Amino acid sequence: MAKAIRQYDVMVVGGGPGGYVAAIRAAQLGLKTAVVEEKHLGGICLNWGCIPTKALLRGAEVAHTLRHMDRFGFSADNIHFDTAELVKHSRNTAGKLASGVAYLMKKNGIDVIDGRARLSGKCRLTVERDKKNSEYRADHIILATGARPRELPGVAIDGDRIWSYFEAMVPESLPKSLLVIGSGAIGAEFASLYNDLGVDVTLVEVLDRILPAEDPEIANLARKLFEKRGMRIYTGTQVNEVNKSGNGIECLLKGEDVNESVTVDRAILAVGVQGNIENLGLEELGVETDKGFIKVDEWGRTNVVGLYAIGDVAGPPCLAHKASHEGVVCVEKLAGVDGVHALDKNNIPACTYCRPQVASIGMTEQEAKNAGHDIRVGRFQMAASGKALAIAEAEGLVKTVFDAATGELLGAHMIGPEVTEQIQGFGIARTLESTEAELAGTVFPHPTVSEAMHEAVLDAMGRAINQ
Amino acid sequence: MSEIKALTVPKWGMAMEEGTLVNWLVKEGDEVSPGDEVAEIESSKIVNVMETHVAGTVHRLVAKTDETLPVGGLLAVIGDKDASREDVDEFIASFKTKPGAVPARDSEAPAPKQADAEPGQEPRREKPAAASASSSPAVAQPQPARGGIPESLQSGGDDSGVAATPHARRLAEKHGINLTNIKGSGRHDRVTVEDIEKAVSAAGGSIAVRREGRDEIRQPASLADDSGVPATPLARRLAKQKSINLHDCRVSGSRSRVSKADVEALELRRRGGGRVGDAHVAGVDGQVVEEIPMSGLRQTIGRRLQQSKIDIPHYRLVADANLDALLALRRELNDSLSEANISVNDLLIKCCATALMQVPDCNVQLHGDTIHRFRDADVAMAVALDAGLITPVIRCANHKGVAAISNEARELVTKARAGTLKQEEFEGGTFTVSNLGMFGLKQFDAIINPPQCAILAVGAGEERVIVKDGEPEVAAMLTLSLSLDHRVIDGAVGARFMQALVRVIEHPGLMSA
Repeated sequence: MAKAIRQYDVMVVGGGPGGYVAAIRAAQLGLKTAVVEEKHLGGICLNWGCIPTKALLRGAEVAHTLRHMDRFGFSADNIHFDTAELVKHSRNTAGKLASGVAYLMKKNGIDVIDGRARLSGKCRLTVERDKKNSEYRADHIILATGARPRELPGVAIDGDRIWSYFEAMVPESLPKSLLVIGSGAIGAEFASLYNDLGVDVTLVEVLDRILPAEDPEIANLARKLFEKRGMRIYTGTQVNEVNKSGNGIECLLKGEDVNESVTVDRAILAVGVQGNIENLGLEELGVETDKGFIKVDEWGRTNVVGLYAIGDVAGPPCLAHKASHEGVVCVEKLAGVDGVHALDKNNIPACTYCRPQVASIGMTEQEAKNAGHDIRVGRFQMAASGKALAIAEAEGLVKTVFDAATGELLGAHMIGPEVTEQIQGFGIARTLESTEAELAGTVFPHPTVSEAMHEAVLDAMGRAINQ
Repeated sequence: MSEIKALTVPKWGMAMEEGTLVNWLVKEGDEVSPGDEVAEIESSKIVNVMETHVAGTVHRLVAKTDETLPVGGLLAVIGDKDASREDVDEFIASFKTKPGAVPARDSEAPAPKQADAEPGQEPRREKPAAASASSSPAVAQPQPARGGIPESLQSGGDDSGVAATPHARRLAEKHGINLTNIKGSGRHDRVTVEDIEKAVSAAGGSIAVRREGRDEIRQPASLADDSGVPATPLARRLAKQKSINLHDCRVSGSRSRVSKADVEALELRRRGGGRVGDAHVAGVDGQVVEEIPMSGLRQTIGRRLQQSKIDIPHYRLVADANLDALLALRRELNDSLSEANISVNDLLIKCCATALMQVPDCNVQLHGDTIHRFRDADVAMAVALDAGLITPVIRCANHKGVAAISNEARELVTKARAGTLKQEEFEGGTFTVSNLGMFGLKQFDAIINPPQCAILAVGAGEERVIVKDGEPEVAAMLTLSLSLDHRVIDGAVGARFMQALVRVIEHPGLMSA
């Protein structure tokens, strides 16, 4: 008798925001579903990414508020900060959510299989746990294995002095000085966080501007505001060498106009992520990959029958909300649900939770021009926003990019207080294919920071009222 | 005048002539909008959820649970919130079923003329079919005068040969009506429930269609607070445990209180028979028995298969096939194609399609006295679900490659499990393959799924010792059992098909010939 093989309709490898959401959708549709997870349900997002960093950033915001309390008439001395308490809040938050995911799996009748999965053939998985293998078969296998920090040649993450986001999230104490290598969303957030907590931060970016995925106007304003807070920023600069020196590290920075050595206590390597495609059995099955990510079509299908990939491992943008959305689309498509729409990658909002926050959707001004659009651009400075002034956060900008002929909102770019909570307004407008007229005709509540969105639309039409 | 619209029995598929209301999902007074689920309707094939295509307030649920109506028959009245009871009564009284006028998959029947009248214009006062003065639900379902079943309809010889819908036959049996007295107006002149109603009515009798079947059992439970209903403490506790509302119990005991016996009697009525207590304990050895009501789908499956066994003179042909060549082909295909993961069953579907092309007399359906012979092989495959059996169809399998068949089969199985199969994906089919090989069975017999005339039952492929050229040899062997309808396919024709099938399995190159 052959070894017992458990059979599912759908098996998901990885319990992150892509995988667990895909599994729930499959179970809702009545499919027999299992999730294989090696470590933590909830994945990086819940345990080591989006959520715990937001808990830390809230602490940074408190530090910032305390520093400027005099503006609101307060004064205090002997303010004490305990790093461990803030880290504890962050870990507790992550723990709560992870157990919430376990509950959701149970509630939806999804089997959670602990262990590491490997494809052992078409529609077949071997799960290893404690050196014991179990065999599974599923008509549909969805890979949602995520991504991990990318390393730089010559700069190895040692977990002690050179950190990845894992270590950066649970410091035992604050370093005096910190070098952040890479200024994408993760790098910018950690730079902002540690700077607000009083650490001397240096930010290095190999490209010509920080936040390189954002519209240059927004990125340049972010740089100005970062520098105003005392951050040192090097763009167009590489970190060539890192050597231990005393209790810290000596880093050699090299750029066109830069050739200097800086000594810091710690460094964070945040130069992007790479897909977790190793040891999955992809090579044996001939699964096609591209630049470290699994190649898929708009429904998440790989070139191998019954095999799908979603989320980070299926390619950038590596964002939790993109993964979740892809998971739902992939499952609904394979289950034959009517009216499934593929994810429009141009309509995924990008958010960076530094201070001030940065959020964007769609094309930058330059991308719109490159795509051949005749455009109209609108801007509104937060300095003219009553609400932003009242909360003493009046630094920022909202920028809109419209097609001049059709009025289509091609892109929107925001920097300012709580803009990550507001960008969905422009997202809905794009999904509904609103033109500038509908946005202009929408009543925005007063006083809110979001009025800046309205003014930026009016400005593109040459009708700005308050600037 | 306010706008009023009819919600009518939808037509799900060509063969559907009437539908039975299984359950209302809305109640009177509810607001509905297009796409809302309003009722479960059972056709002779499936139970499906019906969505409304019209918006408004549900004014009257005309059809009662378990009532059988023809396609286009009035289920409910939906209209503007301010429509008066009189308007609704008027509408119902003047509503006429228009068989065939309702497009497939459309639950919205055109409203009778006066509902479309110009605003402010008085509707023409046609003579209502039933007294409309009262606004009681009786008006909602006009019934002829009392009188029972006239004798003229009860007499006659054996009526088992009369073509009738399953619902109509059940109704006739229940009321002692001989079907030879009824003229059928359904497809192929089958007798429908409506035909019986008309005939009874024309002969001066009456027949309560909606009381037919299980209506007693399915009466909706009261929801009102029953704390004021006089009851014995034991009856009260028992009712609570059984989720029975004391308002629904008939008081039979002394002192005008609901007693334990009254609660149990209600439970018995709801279950539609059996002894009280059966639900918990039965059996001579004290064995505990769980009573599970059959779902609509289960009942449908049961009825259809029973009908098939009764109507169709089944006979069976059994043959063994050597699987070695087919397994070698499967390995070769799977090793060289990453876009397909082909199973033995996928290959057998293709083999059947090939053999059906060679013996087209087996690629048939029987409709009344007409045999439909098909040009292409639409091969259905039996898929077991928790709720029952469903047979999605691979269309034109004779034209498709094995990889395409395999991927389509996987997609159909997933859709079947997710409940997203569309009607056209499981209706029709000119031949069925049922495979229980994964359970290690050697051989079994399958029941034909009418109007098809043949079904192949596939056992497990296994290594057996065979004799070849006088020498024992080990080969992968498969036992096939083919059930055939002798009314349509004679033994020799069936045997020719089986021979062709075994030949293509053993020489799979013929699939591409």
